[in-house]
Amino acid sequence: MATTPVPVEVGETDFDDETVPDRPWIVLVWNDPINLMSYVTFVFQKVFGYSLEKATSLMLDVHEKGRAVVSSGAREKAEIDVFRLHEHGLWATMQQDD
Amino acid sequence: MARKRAFIPPIQRVRDGFVFNIGDDERQLVARLLTELSHLLMGESGDPRLIRIFPPAYHLADDAEADAEYQRLMREDLVASRLSGITTVNAALQEPGPVDENTVIAFVQAINGLRLVLGTMLDVVEDHDPDEIDDDDPLAGEHHLYNFLSWLLDWAVRALGEPVTQQET
Repeated sequence: MATTPVPVEVGETDFDDETVPDRPWIVLVWNDPINLMSYVTFVFQKVFGYSLEKATSLMLDVHEKGRAVVSSGAREKAEIDVFRLHEHGLWATMQQDD
Repeated sequence: MARKRAFIPPIQRVRDGFVFNIGDDERQLVARLLTELSHLLMGESGDPRLIRIFPPAYHLADDAEADAEYQRLMREDLVASRLSGITTVNAALQEPGPVDENTVIAFVQAINGLRLVLGTMLDVVEDHDPDEIDDDDPLAGEHHLYNFLSWLLDWAVRALGEPVTQQET
């Protein structure tokens, strides 16, 4: 494949959806009055394969601080995580990390 | 001969799976509630009782379009996943024998789905005291039901967390 050393003028990149691809997405779980603490811990273990210790500590973060970041990564991965948490009835959302 | 009656948990891990130690009337009650939930899931998509079943995925105002897209694409999958879980659980509740771990996992998801709907209807708030039920409350029955489901769920989660017995490892 040939390359031309001629400089080309590059216009400003226009990100239509205003998302910068390099910044990871974070998945948050929010505190809610319905889900049981034991159940939330179980879901973190099952969905993410976290140890009982890590799952418990995340659950306590959700409970005490109102929310916790439970996973992060590319947008597609975050969306799958959110979906799996929704399948289990947890109040999960995602946003691009800042 | 008098024997000391030990408490038997409603769900227990046994050597070849898990058993539900609940009576027929309780099995039928849970099955009936789950059938009602499946009708609700297949009904009006804007039903306010379902808001906790279908939470937003993108919470930032800037991502509203992405959320609409998520709801459009994933809602059907979420309904299908819940309906298939309910079918599994209702079939298992008709059988007295032990069930496998996947069935108990479907059970906790389904029971939690019921609690989300009931909790929304009852407007359960933080620091909700389950023991404080006013029997004159027209929703007293639903409050008792909510507590019963919480109790079942807690025991099911506990059973799932129990270490596998020696024979199985």
